[in-house]
Amino acid sequence: MMMLRNLKFALDSAWQSFWRNLAVSLAAVVSITLILILAGINLLVGHAFSQVLDGFRAKVSEMSINIADDTPLSTVYSFRDKLAGDPRVVSVKFVTKDEALAQFLADPNNAELTQQIVGNPLDAKLQVRVRNLSDVTAIDTMAQQWPGVDPTDPTNYQGDFVTRMLQLSQWLGIAGVALMSMLVIVSVVIVMNTIRTAVYHRRKEIEVMKLVGATEWFVRGPFVIEGVMTGLIAAAIALSLLVISYPPVVSRFSADITFIPLSYDPSFISSLARDLLLGGAMLGALGSYIGVRRYVRL
Amino acid sequence: MLRLGLRLDRRLELLGALSYTARDLARRARKRHASLQKTQLMVLTPDFATRPVISFQHVWKRYETGTEALRDINLVVPDGDFMFLVGPSGAGKSTMVRLLIREEKPTKGKIFVDGVELGRMKRRQLPFYRRRIGLVFQDFKLLPNLTVYENVAFALRVHGEPDALIKTRVAEAVDTVGLAGKEQTYPANLSGGEQQRVAIARALVHAPKMIIADEPTGNLDPATAWEIMQLFLRINARGATVVMATHNREIVDLLRRRVVAIDAGQIARDDRSGRYHDDASKSQVRAR
Repeated sequence: MMMLRNLKFALDSAWQSFWRNLAVSLAAVVSITLILILAGINLLVGHAFSQVLDGFRAKVSEMSINIADDTPLSTVYSFRDKLAGDPRVVSVKFVTKDEALAQFLADPNNAELTQQIVGNPLDAKLQVRVRNLSDVTAIDTMAQQWPGVDPTDPTNYQGDFVTRMLQLSQWLGIAGVALMSMLVIVSVVIVMNTIRTAVYHRRKEIEVMKLVGATEWFVRGPFVIEGVMTGLIAAAIALSLLVISYPPVVSRFSADITFIPLSYDPSFISSLARDLLLGGAMLGALGSYIGVRRYVRL
Repeated sequence: MLRLGLRLDRRLELLGALSYTARDLARRARKRHASLQKTQLMVLTPDFATRPVISFQHVWKRYETGTEALRDINLVVPDGDFMFLVGPSGAGKSTMVRLLIREEKPTKGKIFVDGVELGRMKRRQLPFYRRRIGLVFQDFKLLPNLTVYENVAFALRVHGEPDALIKTRVAEAVDTVGLAGKEQTYPANLSGGEQQRVAIARALVHAPKMIIADEPTGNLDPATAWEIMQLFLRINARGATVVMATHNREIVDLLRRRVVAIDAGQIARDDRSGRYHDDASKSQVRAR
């Protein structure tokens, strides 16, 4: 009961304080909104990139090991079983020379080449799907040492591309984290200063509160709530702006850069909403807590 | 009177004892024992109700700036006392008040208030200590954006009291200070004396055992100051201990209450029913 009464008091004071210093409050809301929009864009771009990367990843996690023509079938089977038992490998499929040719012929891209093919120049192969992209090279070395491999054309995989994509995504991740932490610091400082203004405006009330026996948290409560309020309002504005502009921007870009399979993902909106609102509230709470801690001491 | 009352009580108890269960008897016996001890204590001590509410024991206070504000203060204030703290500006009166409300800690020595040593009190406990005392200041410290009612209610709201209780307590306090009917007025529309009455109402709305007032009449004209003083006397008569730092010579001389004079950080004089100046000491007159 007492907790509820104290909460009501804190909410009332926070609301009053927000409106009393409307100019400062609004400035803080606008700044935090901009910061959260940047953070939201960061999240969206990161999400789009990871979607694109996932698409590539499915393709490149597959490699084929070409088998020399005169390799006995038993050798092939034992190597296949060895690979299948490897924890890094998801699946192994043995493709005979005939099947390989049939696959090749079935691909319409190869229409011209098919005309020139005499006999069956294709190797039989083991198609290996690995669990992690980074395991491709290890499996490759293993295959290179296997005596049954075709020495002229041992393995096929998009190794270089894979490593570059991995590096790029790593760098993007680091850049994203750096950007985010900068944004967090800036917004915490903004909230901190807003709350300090509010503390300054209410210093007399704070003094009286302390003298009549308010606990520290009773005095701080309204300010922390005001900070959370600022953060939440900013997050709501940022979120609605992002949600409104997300689909048109995606369709505009995916028309321009067709080689990247950029797509609108409505399921991401809910997680974006959760992240932004939670982030806004936490930024507000943190900023106001720091702002009020030094000034409201008994 | 008291003894007769006790005897009558015991006689009634004996009469009723037959119908009591054994446990009830034991409880009653314990209670009687306690009340007996209390009576004995009263008999043994010469003064009525001398349990100290405040005691300073060899208190020194040196500020970080190097100023030695208090030097070896020893002072006992019994329950229900009315004490003036007088002395020239800078003598250490305000420091004593600041120590009493635990805005400052003593550099050396101990201060006990109602059995609690202030220097060893934890920060967490401080709000609950402040709830046991009432504070009145020279500048009233009212919140200008709150009405009289809200200002008085503020103390109880801060303590987290329920609305119904706040309503009755505030009504009582406002009535005590003679401001009934002005509940919805803002401080700016009140005279200085009325504003101080609001502050006093706020100081006593939670029924504290002790009121500490720092120059409460400093901003008021003599007639108003006298009225405010009557109010403090009434509060004291109801049982609250009052400690008042003041410069108001007329009032101190008229009331002839206990006067503790502070000079250069030391207790210069402690009179049971004193005056503002010690007639024998001319230095005090000059200091004024």
